[in-house]
Amino acid sequence: MSEAEQPPIRPPMRVMVVDDHPMWRDGVSRDLAEAGYEIVASVGEGAQAVRIAAAVRPDVVVLDLQLPDLSGVEVLHGLLASLPELRVLVLSASGEQQDVLDAVKAGAAGYLLKSTEREAFVDAVGRTAAGEAVFTPGLAGLVLGEYRRLAAGPTGPGPAVPTLTARETEILRLVAKGFSYRQIADRLVLSHRTVQNHVQNTLNKLQLHNRVELARYAIATGLDTVDEA
Amino acid sequence: MPIRPRGSVDVPLWRALATFRVASALYAAILTAGNFRAYDHPAAAWVVTGVMAGWSAMTVPAYARARSRRWPLVTVDLVVTAACLLSSLWIVGGYGLAHGRPTLTVTWMACPVLAAAIIYGQVWGAVLAAAMGSVDLATRQVITQSTVTGTVIMVIAAVALGRLARFAYDMQQRLNRATAVEAANHERERLAREIHDGVLQAITLVRRRASELGEPGVELGRLAAEQEATLRALVSATPVETPDDGVTDLRVPISALAAAAVAVSTPADGVWLPSKAAADVVAATAAALENVRTHAGPDARAWVLLEDEPEAVTVTVRDDGAGFDAQRLAAAEAEGRIGVAQSIKGRIRDAGGIVTIVSAPGAGTEIEMRVARAAPPRRASVRWGRVRG
Repeated sequence: MSEAEQPPIRPPMRVMVVDDHPMWRDGVSRDLAEAGYEIVASVGEGAQAVRIAAAVRPDVVVLDLQLPDLSGVEVLHGLLASLPELRVLVLSASGEQQDVLDAVKAGAAGYLLKSTEREAFVDAVGRTAAGEAVFTPGLAGLVLGEYRRLAAGPTGPGPAVPTLTARETEILRLVAKGFSYRQIADRLVLSHRTVQNHVQNTLNKLQLHNRVELARYAIATGLDTVDEA
Repeated sequence: MPIRPRGSVDVPLWRALATFRVASALYAAILTAGNFRAYDHPAAAWVVTGVMAGWSAMTVPAYARARSRRWPLVTVDLVVTAACLLSSLWIVGGYGLAHGRPTLTVTWMACPVLAAAIIYGQVWGAVLAAAMGSVDLATRQVITQSTVTGTVIMVIAAVALGRLARFAYDMQQRLNRATAVEAANHERERLAREIHDGVLQAITLVRRRASELGEPGVELGRLAAEQEATLRALVSATPVETPDDGVTDLRVPISALAAAAVAVSTPADGVWLPSKAAADVVAATAAALENVRTHAGPDARAWVLLEDEPEAVTVTVRDDGAGFDAQRLAAAEAEGRIGVAQSIKGRIRDAGGIVTIVSAPGAGTEIEMRVARAAPPRRASVRWGRVRG
């Protein structure tokens, strides 16, 4: 964390770790603390995480999808309800595909497998805080699949189904085939930043669609009805 | 031989047959009460009616028990019924029968035939119906349109009931199979959860910490990494069994190819292909990965991407290994030295697809296998891969 371009008086990034395994929680917290992050909270349950996050207002939450009390999606909704700008990096041990996809659609900023090397993990937390979408090849495959599932679905009334541009499809496929953003930038003669933006866009569109769908569902089931006065 | 799956799907059929048996015996008794004065041997008629009532009382509970529904019961039932039917010849008298008087058994004669049809199916049902019909015609001694009609009705009923019973057994078997598969999947999910929550996390941590130990930790870390990848593949690629209906969800066998140096990416929903084509694609993918292991170098990593589009399924295998000169591959093929590339192409061609191989020395290799879909994809209503329910 002593790179030349960073201002020297920048306050440390505030991170909250949510994982029900004490062993893992401590290990991750230690790794991040050693790398210069400030661990503002370290909790083992989803409801607790939502409560504490609202109070300590971390910059980044490292969230394990497997919590004893709430699903990953529920925790994400809870966190983002009180802190809409919060960056959440999702971790899971075995990559349960649907859970990961649901978490990303619910607003997670990125996803990593727990088996990721320590250095790559610490780096990913920094990138997440900096606004980058941290993707694994597995997540790229899931997102590609989700866009194709939406495209193949029935076209009825309701909001337009989000689609990928040719460039976004190309980049997602490269991510899914294990290329780094840097390698993709070189290959397509784009800037690193542009590649990141394209990947980020694929997530944004899915998350927006997901929010619209949830709102439609709420309206359809009368959850939004307000007392008429 | 009858296939009797566990379960009680045929119970309604046996209840219906019991009703038919009792009603037929009653009907026969009523006709006898109306006609016995004109019979050659009126007293014997009541004896036979008594036998029919008694036999009905014995066979109804006997057929209700699955264990006793076997050939001895059916055989005795057929013999007793045929005997009652034949006795009409002496009791009612040839003259009466030939002039349209009913036999003593009337419709009761169909009971053992229908029982056999339920147990042994339509063919045996039809054969025995024809046999019983012959006894009926022999008893009446005249063959007219109206006397044959009874036999024809019996044959038709036996065939229909035989088919219905077979259909019911099939449904029962499917239900049993589905139940078994569901139970097995449930257990697998439970195991996956256990592994996930404990073992996998511990191994992952061991691997992360091992690298800090310096030299001795490297070997430890490598071992842990291998086990971790194997376990993760096991947990996430839990082979969810489905009754074999000719299509395969490619995600399951493809995900199982994941290893320490092989990352697999798939959609979250089922990628369905006909089982034969799926097997070819999986074999070709495995061959491509084997190729990476043998030729790409010891440190090469590989990525497998499975994509599902309406018109085609694509599997891409990429590695960051040594790569090769594409012209040399073409030359080798031209010389007839067919290698792994050729076996991959062969399998994908068998599956109705095409293979694209891109490589350059030092730049790794990418093998794209694209198999066209014949029909619209079958969408699974059940998503898999959920460890937590």
